[in-house]
Amino acid sequence: MIMFLTKDQEEMLSGMKGEAIAKSMELIVKIGDVYNAEQLIPIKNAQVAGVSYLTVGEPIFSFFELFSKDAVKVKVPTWLNPAGMDMEKWREMKISEDFAEKQFRIVKFYEGLGIKPTLTCAPYLIGHTPSYGDHLAWSESSAVSMANSFYGARTNREGAPSSLASAITGLTANYGLHITENRNPRILVNVKANLEGFSDYSALGYWYGKKFHGLIPYFVNIQKLNINEAKMLAAALAASGSVALYHVKGLTPESKSIDIENIEEKIEFTESNKTEVYNYFNQINEGADLVAIGCPHASYEDIKYIFDTLQSRQMKKGIEFWIFTSSKTKTSVDTDSLLTSLKSRGIKVYADTCMVVSPSVGGNFRNIITNSTKAAHYLGRAKTTMVNLQSLDSIMKEVTE
Amino acid sequence: MEIGIRPIVEGKVTGSVLFSPSPISFLGDVDSETGKIIDSESPIYGRNLKDTIFVFPRGRGSTVGSYIIYGLKVNNVSPLALVAEEAETIVIAGAILADIPLVDLPDKDLFSMIETGDTITIDTSERTLKIQKRKK
Repeated sequence: MIMFLTKDQEEMLSGMKGEAIAKSMELIVKIGDVYNAEQLIPIKNAQVAGVSYLTVGEPIFSFFELFSKDAVKVKVPTWLNPAGMDMEKWREMKISEDFAEKQFRIVKFYEGLGIKPTLTCAPYLIGHTPSYGDHLAWSESSAVSMANSFYGARTNREGAPSSLASAITGLTANYGLHITENRNPRILVNVKANLEGFSDYSALGYWYGKKFHGLIPYFVNIQKLNINEAKMLAAALAASGSVALYHVKGLTPESKSIDIENIEEKIEFTESNKTEVYNYFNQINEGADLVAIGCPHASYEDIKYIFDTLQSRQMKKGIEFWIFTSSKTKTSVDTDSLLTSLKSRGIKVYADTCMVVSPSVGGNFRNIITNSTKAAHYLGRAKTTMVNLQSLDSIMKEVTE
Repeated sequence: MEIGIRPIVEGKVTGSVLFSPSPISFLGDVDSETGKIIDSESPIYGRNLKDTIFVFPRGRGSTVGSYIIYGLKVNNVSPLALVAEEAETIVIAGAILADIPLVDLPDKDLFSMIETGDTITIDTSERTLKIQKRKK
């Protein structure tokens, strides 16, 4: 053991406080050793992935048995990533009874640990906003990037098991993005292209991530970055390049304090680079059968934007329009007032899940239009699904009449 | 031939090598019920991880992959040990949960000298890995 542990931490590791806590400590300490961490640090809260039955499958239940032996509870506030279905409207999504039964068991297990079943990839949209300098253990890659970049909090890109281990122990190893020097950018990106809609921010992130896997970017010449734009950029950078932190000159909290002396390369993001991304995700010739919006989960403003753009128009025949969000956003008073109207125009709003982790999207639709490169990236991996990337404005014009 | 390694999950074990030259995503590439490699683009497509010493560059893809490694153990189809060029959190977490010996950072270019079918002995207390080439 290289790392320094306090007496209490040693006891947790030794099994004196039960097997689940010992396994959790072993996980955190060994990962810390590999990354040369010198100590463990307390975290303020955790966000745990590994919820959708589509992704975790049967092995999760054996894992739960391991953790059920002693009645452990999480030590810090902890939230859950999306499940494989809307927990209420799963039948409408054509989810099988068998899948639903397993999904309920999974969520119930996490709730038993004291984890709140928020079932969202965007906890920062429902009041769980990180503060500058907080140490966290989050696992959903787009949320990790938002916490680091938009809020200036500190979290590594945790795995499903390691975030749970941190939730149970309240600790993480001090390495990677918890350390100030590791948060400096390596690549300067002069954004020459116009960033208009959300999908343009998503395109920028996707383009960069493909080129500079894992390297922290410093974007200059971005004129505005609201929370909805920031989350599209974050998700795209993480999906294509496992990038867990980005800085934007003048707009993100650490952009003034970071050290830009050690930038290795300066590049430009031009209109033609932007077009490249749209062209890459331009696979459908005709006959799209689904529009999928909400990757990351839609905010109230996202839903309102669709509502406003729609005005008196109706969905065209033969195409469905699904918006994914958290149940908290969906049931909020503001959103609730829009739902009846959206429904009457043929638009469905599902909570707790998304196009990437629910079997009902890739399984039931072949040609999917989205405004998110992350969604396009994951949906397009299945050889049976074709995707198109378009701006929300262009989608609304195309699929409504 | 003896090579130095970094032990991550302890153990002493001898077995036959299954070598993947490309990084592996345990979620998607591996069937946790049978241990079979199900990614048709993998150079070891159709092979089985069960009772092998699995040698690979690194993990990739979803972090849920750790649970797949654990599932292999529960279903009695796990490898005897994992040897990575450089382990990352998915593989480390999976190996710890499943208690499968894991080593990485070979101090010689293991990947150019190893082939599927060779025999490897790992001893984490000695921090070594011994290779016995397959008879041809």
